[in-house]
Amino acid sequence: MLTRRTFGLAAGSLAASTLAMPYVRPAVAQGSAVRVGVINSMSGNLSAYATEGHPAFEYVVNKINAGGGIKSLGGAKIELVLADDTSQPARTAAEARRLITEEKVSLIVGTLLSSQMLAITPVLDELKMPTLSIWAGGTQSPWMFSLGYPYDRGYAQTMHDFAVWLRDVKKFNLKTFASTYSNYEAGQQTNKFLVPKMKASGFEIVGEVPLDTKATDQTSAMIRLRAMKPDLTSGLVTPRDGILMHQARFNLNYHNTVFAGGTGGYTDLSLWHDLGTDIGKAVLTKNLFGMTGFSPGAKVPSMQAIIAELRDVAKLKLIGQGAIQAAQGARVLQRVLEGAGSLDRDALLASFKKVEIPFGDPDLYVAKPKGLKFADDRMLTDGSALFIQWTPEQAQEVVFPQEFAQVEPRPRA
Amino acid sequence: MNDSLRRTLLSPFFWLAFLAIAALPFVLQSYYLHIVILALIYVALASAWNIVGGIAGQISLAHSLFVGMGAMVASALFLKLGINLWLAALIAAALSALMGAIIAFLDWRFRLGHLSFALVTLAFAEMGEIVVVGWDFLGGASGLFLPRDTGQFLQFQFGGGEGVLWAMLVLAAACILVNVAILGSPLGYYLRSIRDNEQAAQAIGVRLLRNKMLAMMISAVLTSLVGTVYVRYLTFADPYLLVSPVITIEIVLFATVGGLGRAGGPALGALLLVPLGEVLRGKLGGVLPGLHYFIYGLIVILVIRLSPAGLLPLLERAIARLRRKQPSPQIIANPTARP
Repeated sequence: MLTRRTFGLAAGSLAASTLAMPYVRPAVAQGSAVRVGVINSMSGNLSAYATEGHPAFEYVVNKINAGGGIKSLGGAKIELVLADDTSQPARTAAEARRLITEEKVSLIVGTLLSSQMLAITPVLDELKMPTLSIWAGGTQSPWMFSLGYPYDRGYAQTMHDFAVWLRDVKKFNLKTFASTYSNYEAGQQTNKFLVPKMKASGFEIVGEVPLDTKATDQTSAMIRLRAMKPDLTSGLVTPRDGILMHQARFNLNYHNTVFAGGTGGYTDLSLWHDLGTDIGKAVLTKNLFGMTGFSPGAKVPSMQAIIAELRDVAKLKLIGQGAIQAAQGARVLQRVLEGAGSLDRDALLASFKKVEIPFGDPDLYVAKPKGLKFADDRMLTDGSALFIQWTPEQAQEVVFPQEFAQVEPRPRA
Repeated sequence: MNDSLRRTLLSPFFWLAFLAIAALPFVLQSYYLHIVILALIYVALASAWNIVGGIAGQISLAHSLFVGMGAMVASALFLKLGINLWLAALIAAALSALMGAIIAFLDWRFRLGHLSFALVTLAFAEMGEIVVVGWDFLGGASGLFLPRDTGQFLQFQFGGGEGVLWAMLVLAAACILVNVAILGSPLGYYLRSIRDNEQAAQAIGVRLLRNKMLAMMISAVLTSLVGTVYVRYLTFADPYLLVSPVITIEIVLFATVGGLGRAGGPALGALLLVPLGEVLRGKLGGVLPGLHYFIYGLIVILVIRLSPAGLLPLLERAIARLRRKQPSPQIIANPTARP
């Protein structure tokens, strides 16, 4: 019979044994190693980024270690100390504090979306810890650098440039514009920059449609958009909102506006799975273009090489934008450590500023025609991304920019 | 001043605990200091909620609204209108009191039962989050970013971890003392009679509207002030943390596990569960994601199974049992006197 005493004993033992687990470390972790804190959202609503990205990050780090470690530090191996912020920004800050003061890490890397970046900023400023974010759309701390797309010259500029290119070069008849975006932090920020840019380029702004991120149906939003009769709509849409938006479009048979936005809500591979083949074919292959940082078909040899390696050697099943971005993060980490030649925080900070991976370098995994390097605002100087179109076979074809394009954009239906 | 409050203020245990916590910045490292600050924030929030949820028995799920008011409205008044953060905190507290009074009035006017009251307050909390996320003045979904805390007290700055800990300690102690004061006052008796049987309470002359409104307003003001100190500590006013109904669920959980309706119960729950949750996540989060939630849940179930009324009654029973077992000094002095 389960008594209170036995229940208590069993639960207590389980708690004690699991609490002891982190202290059981392999011997190789000690000695000549650079301790790098990794803050990811391994649970909670943002976990998709780390679930896809972390295995690729870990694979590249292991490869660096196997290749002799960090040469300028006498072949020191990179030791990752993992932390889960459960997708809650306040906990990102707490975990950063723990990694710095308790785990004594030399540097922090993490998926760190924009809200997490803002939450962690006071801790980084206080404890002066060099940090690399894989995804943040901006950085507030002089100690943080990010590989994410800046809202202005990343997301908004790419969407704007693509729209202007469609209109002026490809002669799409696009006069009116309405923004459609997920009503969350990044969606709002991107929209704030996108609308004035479109207006300045001669588009008539006919309205804005923020998508409620908690809604379970986007039909009313799509009816509103349809009533505005825009030739083109664009904005940042999350995968979940994208699925609901495209479902609503299918139900309303609403196809005549050109949808050209990013990123997950237009280009995530899960769209086909969640929409189903029939709905997917109807809404994704007609008058729709998606912005993404990565596409398996992009004409970038180093990107193709890492895809093949992650697929064939690392045996990763999920190789999307998150995996490639995280793999790129591992290479940036390597360059920062090599460039610093010590674990002094000022040296690491200076090394971040000197990182440069030119286009054509085998370590450049993301599609950056101007190469990878940090600007004065600690974001990438080249914030551009790709635009793709879907084929009925659920494959992506890169249409923009011209240097990476595989095909011409499908004419407006 | 009523007897209960006087006894508490004269209690050496109260002051010993207060001084012991106040001395922690001198011995703790940054991370553990953070855990103590977080625990104190939740001690204050759970104690403030206890006035409505524990003593008056009105399960309010709208308290994220008051935390958000203290955090987001005060930050916006400071950043967008240049109002001093002390004054902004008071304005936000006054608005919270007004909002609390409106909720209490609706409860009284429409005779909401316990379940309806909980649902209506949850609706208020959800509306609050939607308003904050959609309103640029309050920072929208991006939130607001306060300037770095450089210790200028007149600017509502406490100089980082140590200062915030002391500020929060004072606020948490104040919240507990307000509970003690209410429990020993006529208001406390009225609220408990409302909790146990609203119709009967009204029949014997307890004024429902006045007492419910008073409880909700006191609770809202305290919660709002904690919200302002919390956001000052975080620096980043994150709407998805500070206006999310999830924060209310945490408050209710801590209060329930500690002991509802008792002055020290919610504080005990928060003091135990907040550090436990933080340490579990710190130690296990990177090893097996999600495992800390499992362990945490298991421990909460264990506590509720062992003592459905909360940890405080369990602790009191254990102390009483110990006292009964302890032999009296006379018996020790004369072992032969044992039976």
